[in-house]
Amino acid sequence: MLPKRFDQVSPFVTLGVIMLTWLLLPLVLKTFTRATFFEIQAPLTVADSYAHDLQDFWSNRLHSKDELLQAGRDLAGLVAKYDFSVQQNQQLEADILRLENLLNLPPLPAFRLEAARVAQRDFSGWWQRFTIRKGQNFGLTVGAPVVFSGGVVGRITEVHRYTAVVDLVTSPTFRLAASISGDNRPISYQGGLNDSFKAPRGNVEFVPLEINATRNTPRRLVTSGLGGIFPAGLSIGEITNLELSPDGLFKAGDVQLDERIGTLTEVTVLVPLNPEEL
Amino acid sequence: MSRLIETHHARNPRLWLFYAGIGGLMLVLVSGLIYRQLLKTNLYSGKERLQNLRRVVVPGPRGYIYDREGKIIVGNRPRFSVVLNLAELRGEFRAEYRKIKNNYLSLAITERPDADQLTRIARASVAQRYLDTINFILGRHETVRSTDLTQHINQTLLLPYVLLNDLAPEEYARLIERLPVSSPLQVYTASTRDYPFGAAAAHTLGYTGSNNDPAVEDFEGADLLTFKMKGSVGRTGLEKIFDEQLQGETGGAIYLVDPAGYKVELPISKRLQQRRPVQGHNIITSLDLDLQLAAERAMTDRTGAAVALDIRTGEVLVLASLPSYDLNTRVPILTAEQDVEKSGVWLNRAIQGQYPPGSTFKILTATAGLRSGAIERDNSRILCPGFYMVGNRRFPCDARNGHGERSLVGAIRDSCNVFFYKYGLETGPDLIAAEAHRFGFDHKTGIELPFEYATPHVASPTWKLATLKERWMPGDTANTAIGQGDTLVTPLQVACMIASFARGETETKPTLLHDPQRPAQHSPAIGLAAGDYQAIINGMEQCAQIGTGRLAHVDGLRIANKTGTAQKGRIDLAWMVAFAPIDNPQIAIAVVMEGTEPDVGYHGGTYAAPVVKAILEAWKEKSERAPAPPAVNFKVK
Repeated sequence: MLPKRFDQVSPFVTLGVIMLTWLLLPLVLKTFTRATFFEIQAPLTVADSYAHDLQDFWSNRLHSKDELLQAGRDLAGLVAKYDFSVQQNQQLEADILRLENLLNLPPLPAFRLEAARVAQRDFSGWWQRFTIRKGQNFGLTVGAPVVFSGGVVGRITEVHRYTAVVDLVTSPTFRLAASISGDNRPISYQGGLNDSFKAPRGNVEFVPLEINATRNTPRRLVTSGLGGIFPAGLSIGEITNLELSPDGLFKAGDVQLDERIGTLTEVTVLVPLNPEEL
Repeated sequence: MSRLIETHHARNPRLWLFYAGIGGLMLVLVSGLIYRQLLKTNLYSGKERLQNLRRVVVPGPRGYIYDREGKIIVGNRPRFSVVLNLAELRGEFRAEYRKIKNNYLSLAITERPDADQLTRIARASVAQRYLDTINFILGRHETVRSTDLTQHINQTLLLPYVLLNDLAPEEYARLIERLPVSSPLQVYTASTRDYPFGAAAAHTLGYTGSNNDPAVEDFEGADLLTFKMKGSVGRTGLEKIFDEQLQGETGGAIYLVDPAGYKVELPISKRLQQRRPVQGHNIITSLDLDLQLAAERAMTDRTGAAVALDIRTGEVLVLASLPSYDLNTRVPILTAEQDVEKSGVWLNRAIQGQYPPGSTFKILTATAGLRSGAIERDNSRILCPGFYMVGNRRFPCDARNGHGERSLVGAIRDSCNVFFYKYGLETGPDLIAAEAHRFGFDHKTGIELPFEYATPHVASPTWKLATLKERWMPGDTANTAIGQGDTLVTPLQVACMIASFARGETETKPTLLHDPQRPAQHSPAIGLAAGDYQAIINGMEQCAQIGTGRLAHVDGLRIANKTGTAQKGRIDLAWMVAFAPIDNPQIAIAVVMEGTEPDVGYHGGTYAAPVVKAILEAWKEKSERAPAPPAVNFKVK
């Protein structure tokens, strides 16, 4: 009778033993296990990402020569435009440097740009994250801002040997000091609870009372630069409505974010050159 | 093999005793259950409610105060604080307690703190750890005060503990970007009064103080243990008088707490009662901020008061008192020489300052004389030799060498004392005092401000006998006729007098509330013949053009004014009253400036005139952009 009864309860006993073992494990071992979990998983994630790249490569090979020629011409046009923008930026940077010297201003925090491929997306109602295909091996640090051509993507929350996890601007766990374009007062931006298949959105709080925004007359939201992590002027999204907050001191409202964020394949990490300056 | 189950007979008599015992006990239990669940339901549910529910009351933001053109002169600004949510730290408190206790045990120290002390140390240590995070982000060096933290836990555990108050916008920005969303550290906002123009109209607007007991009306849970967030209450000025209107409607919420008193977070759908605080009503004052600032700028750093009234409605356009204080910091604005105690910075001189009216009173003496027939506008003349003898006493004139021959118009223009000594004596003290009474010098104006001076003096034989127990002398009449002596008035009363005079009436009720539809004020007529009234006006106009008040002249504006000089103890007083335009009077002004510097001649024409001029220039500039209101309907006979 006894062996038969043990068979019936053995899964529970096993689970209990495992849990007890986990509880009794030394803290160092637990921490090590947690840390290595991502490192063990990382090669699979990276391999999966490379496989997708290969898949994309072969699917691109199916394009006709005419299509490739057209894409090449479009690309040449874009490159010419960007070349011009680069020259303008160099001129502006020189002007800024001159003004900083004239006014004895401290230099703005300098960043190294590190382009990274998105390896995995982890979207749920509670958080939205990317895993990117670069980590400590490229000097990425926790807290580093991540951007793309449309503005803010998010912030690095975990850095592993070969990968890093980016908390997206759409995630409710993401918050930064923003400002409305043309107004230097800081307001609070926080990601929202985003449903799948809907346009991503976030929330703003502590908006001064005299500022108005509607769907027809949205206000552009940018990073304020005052928080010390994100440089100023990066686009976050557009405020599409504002309402009086319950205490009557401010307004609060919704922010429409760039819809491309969910489908990005390439992002840029701004790695601070002197983290202590931030 | 033994039987696994024993059987027994239900009729076994030995069991009856057992059944009876069980039955009795069950009866006791059921009775107790019925007693508590049915009979004492209200008692126990009430106790449960009192133990598990807490009420937090949040006062509503105060209403705004605007000037007559809708400019915010008192608003609210957010005050950012960084707070610590203690409910999330219970585990950390316990862990820290154990750690500290173990440290003591391991060191084998005999004199160890008791449990209460250890608890306090552990809590302060955890709070300090979080404050250190803030210190690191903001570059500060703040420390937690253990006594404050203990007091907070004992008295207002449900409310977040404020670690740092009144953060700068940059600090707030750094914190919201760097603190994790789920951290027990959060940025908290509250409302505080904001005065965009600092010290402008400080005495009139007033300030607020903390109110630890905000009123809670129509919000359930009066029987529950209630935590009240600090509100504010008006202490002086308009903030005090209109406190009821400005006070916001209190909001609040009822929270579920655990036995230790920490908040239990419920999902939104199951939240207990919650009511949003509502902002108080706004007040639109009659003050004109541009004129107010012009007056205060012109008064520079001197001591004095300035009042300007809308003649038609009695609305107060300017009510300035210097020295003043910055309402945002409530720090007196004084020059290096001024002493906080001696300067009387907290005194609202416009409604509390008691001054002899000086020669501005001659307008009333002239009115009394003309009404009584003692002065005839064309025939009353005097040759001013620079003094006048009343009995054996010599009463001087401002012009030591004399003005020469002066009529009523000339006497007003040049402020000739001799003319008014003579005709004041002929008019008599009772009629002069009666005129002062008619123009409201014997009572408060009733302006919507607290602490207006209650017992102004109008000198008369009756008053002197009753108050000083002394007989009235002819010299008293001479003094009274030129506004010296015991008659004391506030600048607001003088402004009301000149506004009434400009309307051809006798009383003006000032108000600090603006109403675009406010009808023109009317009071008993001045009772002068048109020619007599015009003679006084002519004298005042000449005073503004070529007389003692010429420094207040404004190009393109017909002004009637009258200067005055007086003394109050060791303080010299420089007065000026004015109204304009003469053909359609709209603004009346009274300015008094104090001076204590020896060997400086404080004359109204020198020290008060620039303030009047500044107000009139600002008024003219604005009135040229706006249509003129209807002309005043004179009540002159």
